[in-house]
Amino acid sequence: MNTSYLRNTVLVAFVLLSGSCKKFLEEVPDYALPSSSSITDVSTARAAIVGTYDRVQNYYSSSYPTLGTITADHVIFNGTLSEYLQLDQNAIPTDNVITVSAYQSLYRTINSANSVIAYIPLVNDPLLTDTEKNKILGEAYFIRALSYFDLGRGWGGVQLQLKPTTDLTVLKGIKRSTLDQTYDQVLADLIQAEQLLPEDATTRNRAQKSAARALRARLHLYRKQWADAETYATQVISNTKYTLVKPYKSFFTAPFQTAESVLELAFSSNDRNSYWNLWYPSSSGGQFTLKPSDGLIAKLNNPAIGGARKALIAGTGATVYGVLYNTVGLSTDPAYLIRIAELYLIRAEARAQLNKLPEAAADLNAVRGRADVAATTATTQAGLIQAIEDENGIEFAFEAHRWFDLVRTERAGTVLGITNKNYWLFPIPYSDIQSDPDVTQNPGY
Amino acid sequence: MKNLYRKGFYLVLCVFWTAMASAQQVNPTIKSHLNGIVLDAGTNQPLPGAVVKIRGTTHSVSTDSDGKFSFVTGQSFPYILVVSFIGYDQKVLTVNGSPVTIKLEETLNQLNELVVTGYSTQERKYIAGAISSVSGSVVQHQPSGGFNQLLQGKTAGVQVTTNSGVPGGGITFRVRGNNSINASVEPLYIIDGVFVNNNDPINAGLGNQAASNPMADLNPADIEDIQILKDANATAIYGSLGANGVVIVTTKRGKRNTKAAINLSTFQGWSTAVNKFKVATGPEVALLTNESRLNTAADNGLDPSSIILPFPDPSNMPTYDRISGLFRTARTTNYELSTLGGTDKSTYYIGLGYLNQESIVKPSNYTRYSGRFNYDNYLSDKLKVGTSINFTRSARKLSGSDNNPTGVINSALFPRSYLPIFNADGTYARYGSFDNHLALINNLDSKAVGWRSVGNIFAEYVFLPGLKLRSSWSVDNTSEYDNSYSNTLISAGIASSGSASSSETKIQVLTNEQVLSFVRNLGADKKHNINALIGNTINTILNQSTSASGSGFAANSLKSISVAATRSGSASRSAANLLSFFSKASYTYDGKYTIDGSIRADASSKFGANKRWGYFPSGGVAWRLSQEDFIKELNVFNELKLRASLGLSGNQNGIGAYAAQGLWSSGANYLELPGIAPTQLINPNLTWETTRQFNVGTEFTILNKRLEIVADYYNKYTYDLLLNVPVPYRSGFSSYLQNYGAVRNKGFELGINSTNIQTNAFQWTTNFNISFNNNKIEKLASDISLGASGRNISILREGYSVNSFQLYKQLYVDQQTGNAVYEDLNGDGKITSADRQIVGNALPKYTGGLTNNLSYKGFDFSFFFYFQQGNKIMNMNDFFMVHGGTQANIGFLPRQLDRWQKPGDITDIPRLTTYSGNPTENGAAANNYGGNVASLSSRYLEDGSFIRLKTVTLGYTLPKDILTRVGISKLRVYVQGTNLLTFTKYGGLDPEVSSQSSNQNTVGYDWATVPQPRTIQIGANVTF
Repeated sequence: MNTSYLRNTVLVAFVLLSGSCKKFLEEVPDYALPSSSSITDVSTARAAIVGTYDRVQNYYSSSYPTLGTITADHVIFNGTLSEYLQLDQNAIPTDNVITVSAYQSLYRTINSANSVIAYIPLVNDPLLTDTEKNKILGEAYFIRALSYFDLGRGWGGVQLQLKPTTDLTVLKGIKRSTLDQTYDQVLADLIQAEQLLPEDATTRNRAQKSAARALRARLHLYRKQWADAETYATQVISNTKYTLVKPYKSFFTAPFQTAESVLELAFSSNDRNSYWNLWYPSSSGGQFTLKPSDGLIAKLNNPAIGGARKALIAGTGATVYGVLYNTVGLSTDPAYLIRIAELYLIRAEARAQLNKLPEAAADLNAVRGRADVAATTATTQAGLIQAIEDENGIEFAFEAHRWFDLVRTERAGTVLGITNKNYWLFPIPYSDIQSDPDVTQNPGY
Repeated sequence: MKNLYRKGFYLVLCVFWTAMASAQQVNPTIKSHLNGIVLDAGTNQPLPGAVVKIRGTTHSVSTDSDGKFSFVTGQSFPYILVVSFIGYDQKVLTVNGSPVTIKLEETLNQLNELVVTGYSTQERKYIAGAISSVSGSVVQHQPSGGFNQLLQGKTAGVQVTTNSGVPGGGITFRVRGNNSINASVEPLYIIDGVFVNNNDPINAGLGNQAASNPMADLNPADIEDIQILKDANATAIYGSLGANGVVIVTTKRGKRNTKAAINLSTFQGWSTAVNKFKVATGPEVALLTNESRLNTAADNGLDPSSIILPFPDPSNMPTYDRISGLFRTARTTNYELSTLGGTDKSTYYIGLGYLNQESIVKPSNYTRYSGRFNYDNYLSDKLKVGTSINFTRSARKLSGSDNNPTGVINSALFPRSYLPIFNADGTYARYGSFDNHLALINNLDSKAVGWRSVGNIFAEYVFLPGLKLRSSWSVDNTSEYDNSYSNTLISAGIASSGSASSSETKIQVLTNEQVLSFVRNLGADKKHNINALIGNTINTILNQSTSASGSGFAANSLKSISVAATRSGSASRSAANLLSFFSKASYTYDGKYTIDGSIRADASSKFGANKRWGYFPSGGVAWRLSQEDFIKELNVFNELKLRASLGLSGNQNGIGAYAAQGLWSSGANYLELPGIAPTQLINPNLTWETTRQFNVGTEFTILNKRLEIVADYYNKYTYDLLLNVPVPYRSGFSSYLQNYGAVRNKGFELGINSTNIQTNAFQWTTNFNISFNNNKIEKLASDISLGASGRNISILREGYSVNSFQLYKQLYVDQQTGNAVYEDLNGDGKITSADRQIVGNALPKYTGGLTNNLSYKGFDFSFFFYFQQGNKIMNMNDFFMVHGGTQANIGFLPRQLDRWQKPGDITDIPRLTTYSGNPTENGAAANNYGGNVASLSSRYLEDGSFIRLKTVTLGYTLPKDILTRVGISKLRVYVQGTNLLTFTKYGGLDPEVSSQSSNQNTVGYDWATVPQPRTIQIGANVTF
């Protein structure tokens, strides 16, 4: 009696214990979803595309605009962090922190976009309508196009990852593509995106049809496909949703999201962008690592060149600093991805190349006029092309343009003195060279 | 009638007595009375708490506070008594009458000591594993918070580095080298049976420096002794927790039947910097800047005479001294009060402590209040319950990010010295990215307050003699409350009109364990000694953190986040569980041959469902040759033992609680909408990192026990490393945690204890130990580079040891051109990243210590040297401040003055220039300070070997006869000096430094770090 009671107790205890053991050993986090069931319904589908935008924010808030500015002649190094000095001197070690961080963030964005593209069609939730599915997919295609475009113009032809990384085997054997192949992929994604994306009258902080067309115009410009560039730029310019806002500084004045923007990523007090910190002097609480060059300051202060764009700088003497990113302390500056002014200048350049000189001058003058600068005096094709290059340098002084423009037009040697073309591309990160048998380094690094 | 009543009463009494006696199963027959006293053979002082046992019975008593005992027993004379007392040789004697006086000889060496091994206590002579024992007195009365940091140089097999001179700050503690790359390399700390947390709970950013040493929460004054379990045989019983060694701390407990003793001790210390930073003066900075400008112009093909010099008259430049404002004479104050004692049924220890210690660089400090209560009660002969409780409140004033531009040291060190500290209007002046050091010192308001409670209750029940069940329930609760406020006078608060952050972190370790142990001598002549146990543990580690931050305050006096203009908050939680079963058995025959084995099975919630369980066996043998006749005949050895062991132990610490799971993390938000994004790849096969260790050792004493030597050789192979294997960034991830790779540590340890002179008046003992460890990565997927804020100066590479440095190897500075020439490793005629190579290592080849204790009558004198040899230090201060002019906002260190100036100059500091053309050309101007080399030159890597006179102590104990008159039983006063002398070639402030210590793979950087102070202290210990 006694022993069987004991035996039963032990048995029951054992069964309970082995059950609770298993449970005891299973812990799940409260901040993350298992990757096997990440995108399953309408709310996770929406969250996944939001997460993809967040990834774009990561590289466009600071690292990418830095790569497009300090590398050229209008912004110079004024701080102490050697990674910025290296960019300013265009002597970029393969483990330069900024290039590595941008490269890493770009592919992280691509992996998010790839996941959305792969998994959204599989979601079976009546609350997720086809319209919304298409919108989400269109945004993912757009973001992937943007990321590959930004990789291509910075690093050259890159490895094309088009599937989500579920495990490491999907990486095998993918070599670097040519720049043309990378741009072809961008084009393919933009065509998809343009079809799938909606368009309304107000949205500027998420991709819509016009954003896809605008990026396509830029892509054609980079590929010297002038007619296509003109076509797509025209499509955006003719949309009444966008105007060149006046005065110039109103587009970078809170609360932002002006008619100037074709695409601008918004930040808020919960989702901060402290890029201003690199531009403002320490007396304002900044690091003052990035400083307008004396040449740029002179141009901005010249009413015949800068005009209203003088508002891009503040301060006096040795402490003149850039104020495009100006939410000091609050850190809510947007990332300016595509402004309508760019479309005018894209079309101006395309038309100039197509020898439509008066039309080109008209587009250029639209941008100049908005900044209260007199119409261009250039009349020849070469003169106009030069005037457009100069205009780009002023209009987008602190955005990710100048470096990429000078490389695209192969003028970096003449203007910046970087005669060795190897250094027109950034290096592939050191750790990727170590860990990836399929990658090859850009020459010269 | 009266008689009848009396008889009846006696009868009832007798019945009761018999009933009670039989119930208690005690033999009522009294055959002898024995009274006696136990004395110290040397001093003739009574020994309270000694255990006197009649051999062949279970009958034993403890001596009382006067050393006296008495037996009333059923044994008749003569019989054999076994008398034992910790720290004394056991004595066996035959008694044939009462009273008796028993004198015990103090144990001179460790070999008879009782050693706390995993879950049990064994006599050292039977142990087959490698275990170091350190007495608590070694770590007491020292000007440092953590006992573990004080083990430096005190015992073989342990390498300890204090990372900086900040009191209570992080340390590096390794038992026999780094076993792992990404999993933890910290040992398991067990305090009175409690597995304690050793993770730094402080969230405040300190530029990759570990903010605290969690072991500093234990007051060293409470420690009785420390055991360090090193080899597999000793650690395997801790299975998954033991691969990095186990440090078992036993705190003081009272002894039964002893009178209360009250101890009061205090010391006061004064610390100063041995060396202070030196920077180039204003005129020197101006001169160097001019020279750099001229050289750059020449490199650019410009006419130097056309250049406008930035400083037309360098010698007129002023110099502002920032460094002296940084340092102070730092005070240390320490008070301890404790009492211990015991009755026949219970024992107690109560200790209270207070320590306040300032950093020699303003404004950091450290304050600790500690209280401990240890209590045991013998409820019956068979059942004992007890508890150990420790409460500590630690408060640190933190100086955030010393190696960040807005840190105190950088703000004093980096700005050019001709720039004034104050603006003309008297406000703090700031330059470039740097803050003003005085603004920081006066306004930094960052406090970390920790409450640590480590508690344990246990019960032990003896079923049969030798068969005991122990159940213990313990908790280690770390609660850290950090508050930081940046007002508008420091740059972190300027833009935001003041910013504040607050966080509360809780780390709870809950452990329950049951151990059934059996210790018995069997056989007719007790030749078979068995020590066996079986047990289980259930362990949970819970991490929780809640934080809030706010910015925008109406005034600098307002700092509550609740009144900030913008506020945000965050919270996190993670839990990991561990379930273990273990067993161990040890058998000794005739006191000569020991064989033992253990096995442990562990299951961790961190691993994938496929491979949760790990099994860790071990075995060992020991042979006491000194018990063999052929050794006895030699008449050389008092004790001689050979031992060998082999076993496996595991590691799961240091990886995330959810490391095996594929995760999409939330929080990737945009437009105030919730977002999710992939953050971790799944690895269902993730499992234990395993260390296989072979150890062979010997212990012997010779020269009449005057010389004791312990030597060990070990070879540890850690495989299936929990490795964050870097994956191509195109995957969208940067690394993947998998079981890949292997590391080997092999080494030799030697410990020598010598009693040089032992007379009644004069004693001189010497302890010497030295440990060699060789670390090598045997297998790695690909190189892993890291460290120095993305500059990748540290590298992990197959075939090399961890903590290697990779730089461009500077061969020489060309005497003609003044340009640095680097080794072109791949011979392609260019300098590219392929030419970076491993040029040194942060791990010392050997470390050790030499301690001498001398005493003459009431005086005691001791001195202790610590040494380490063969490690390199990356001098980041030189890296930044010997910049050749490339950094217009940073000053220079005097080393820059050694630069090449004219043909024929021989130096390792190249010509000043900021020219940046042709970054691949070797021996060209671009690579002097920029270019592809980007100053990642071996010229900034230095030898970090040193020998240091760590402590010198002179003490005097007052004669007893004077003291007893005033009711004091002991009074000692002393004076001590710490870090008095250091012999090193290292050019920085202090060779004992590791500024990037929050990552175990970035050891050996010197980067704007508080140096180790030189301390003079006076102190007194009183016992009532």
